[in-house]
Amino acid sequence: MRNAVPTFRSPRLFSRVITPGIVLVLVMGLAGSLQADGSMGGHADHHGSAEPHIQYRQAVMSGIGANMGAIASILKNRLSMPGHVAIHATMIADSARLIAPAFEKKVVEGPTDAKAAIWEDWKDFQEDIAKMEEAARNLAKAASGQDPAAVGPAVKALGKSCGGCHEEFRKPKEESYKNAAR
Amino acid sequence: MGIAWIVLISVSSNPVLGESGAQPGDVGRGRHVFFATGGCTCHTNLPGEGKDAPLLAGGRGLKTPFGVFYSTNITPDPETGIGDWSDADFMRAMREGLSPDGEHYFPVFPYTSFSGLTDQDLVDLRAYLASLPAIRRENRPPDAPFPFSWRATLAGWKWLNFEPVPLPDAPDRSEAWIRGRYLVTAAAHCGECHTPRTLTGGLDRSMWLAGSREGPEGELAPNITPDPKTGIGRWSVADLVWYLEMGIKPDGDDTQGLMAEVIEHGYSHLPKSDLEAIAVYLKALPAIEHDLRRE
Ligand code: HEC
Ligand code: HEC
Repeated sequence: MRNAVPTFRSPRLFSRVITPGIVLVLVMGLAGSLQADGSMGGHADHHGSAEPHIQYRQAVMSGIGANMGAIASILKNRLSMPGHVAIHATMIADSARLIAPAFEKKVVEGPTDAKAAIWEDWKDFQEDIAKMEEAARNLAKAASGQDPAAVGPAVKALGKSCGGCHEEFRKPKEESYKNAAR
Repeated sequence: MGIAWIVLISVSSNPVLGESGAQPGDVGRGRHVFFATGGCTCHTNLPGEGKDAPLLAGGRGLKTPFGVFYSTNITPDPETGIGDWSDADFMRAMREGLSPDGEHYFPVFPYTSFSGLTDQDLVDLRAYLASLPAIRRENRPPDAPFPFSWRATLAGWKWLNFEPVPLPDAPDRSEAWIRGRYLVTAAAHCGECHTPRTLTGGLDRSMWLAGSREGPEGELAPNITPDPKTGIGRWSVADLVWYLEMGIKPDGDDTQGLMAEVIEHGYSHLPKSDLEAIAVYLKALPAIEHDLRRE
């Protein structure tokens, strides 16, 4: 199937590039190792127990995540669990009003992925909560309705509402306390 | 406009195509290839310009350990994009990382993976790209220290690191596995993010898909070999398919960063059979224990 496009190893290219190439590879190798070493700066080591507010707000989020996982589990495995998707979606929607009080106290030090931006843009944060609630109610409605084709897009929309807040207010994976060195 | 381009492509004299027996590019099939690549989202400057970022017009900064490289304009604009390229130019760029003028591309552009694409998929992809709106935008040089900013250095880099993707015959494997291997290694280029790199920036093939702390934009891309402790060993095929479709993990958490983008603009639009093929291939990989937390 593959055609005979000449590769960089072809004689034409070989003579033109390889000699300077080898020198440059050495230079790159050296510079590369310097850079790699330079950027290996120490990761903060987050041992120690979680501050109660951090613990609680993460528990609230984990509960929401567990309901999302349950919805996914039913749908992707085509489990026959009549009414369950709507109940899980309603539990997520009802959890919406737990989020603001759980996050109200500003605690940024410790094993947490909450960004300080939450308390700087508190209004945006609350809007994101409202969006999640709305998306979860829509899913509950779709799951109780007659149109199974409406469920998939409603799940996707709910997932996007989580992502909308996480992108702005939750630290990315590479900075997460979960990925800190142990 | 789109039609004009297709006509242009099919009449352009192309010895390469003649040899390979590929049919003229087809926009519909090309759209499918486009989604399989993850929607080429690195060429749209979403982080810099948000939802209104001009589609595929480049200018997106990609942070690497070697500096910041800016993606290029791949719209059909003839001057600043790739509108005046022949199909052969396009194939050479995708497979060998060489511009029509013979300049080397920085390997942030994953030609290392795209070298495995078939002729047909490439001409189809080209036809699809040519059907999209042309946008005028000049390409931007990298912000990288010498020697990484120097294209000539890349000749050496390629000599050291670039091997066209090997996809040997595998008669004892299922059709799904073979399709999955093609999608993962070539089209969807999962390895470009999920495989760690050597000090000179080449893919460390002994750690194929075992996760990287320094994916593009400095993102952590997890271990996706079936290791139960550090990889996706506990994910089922259904979990993986659902993830590539919805971006939701088995624990209910969502997806961030580049993975969310390639899912939204690419993989989620693939037919289920392709997503299943990807999952079958991943589940059959050798498990590699690689804990990204400890590095
Ligand atoms: C209004 C903002 C907001 C919304 C909406 C939101 N989250 Fe979160 N979520 C956060 C923040 C902030 C954190 C980080 C909390 C911390 O580490 O202190 C978090 C953390 C998490 C965690 C990790 C908890 C842990 O143990 O570290 C999970 C899981 C999670 N969210 C799931 C979800 C899901 C699923 C949804 C949507 C159904 C959702 N979240 C909607 C803000 C939000
Ligand atoms: C442009 C870079 C990029 C490409 C291409 C890419 N990924 Fe990812 N992937 C990531 C990043 C970054 C994450 C982490 C996202 C997160 O956890 O929020 C990730 C997460 C994942 C996860 C979740 C793993 C876990 O343990 O949480 C899976 C599974 C996955 N990718 C599979 C794939 C497959 C299969 C492909 C190819 C079809 C692919 N990825 C292509 C960057 C990429």
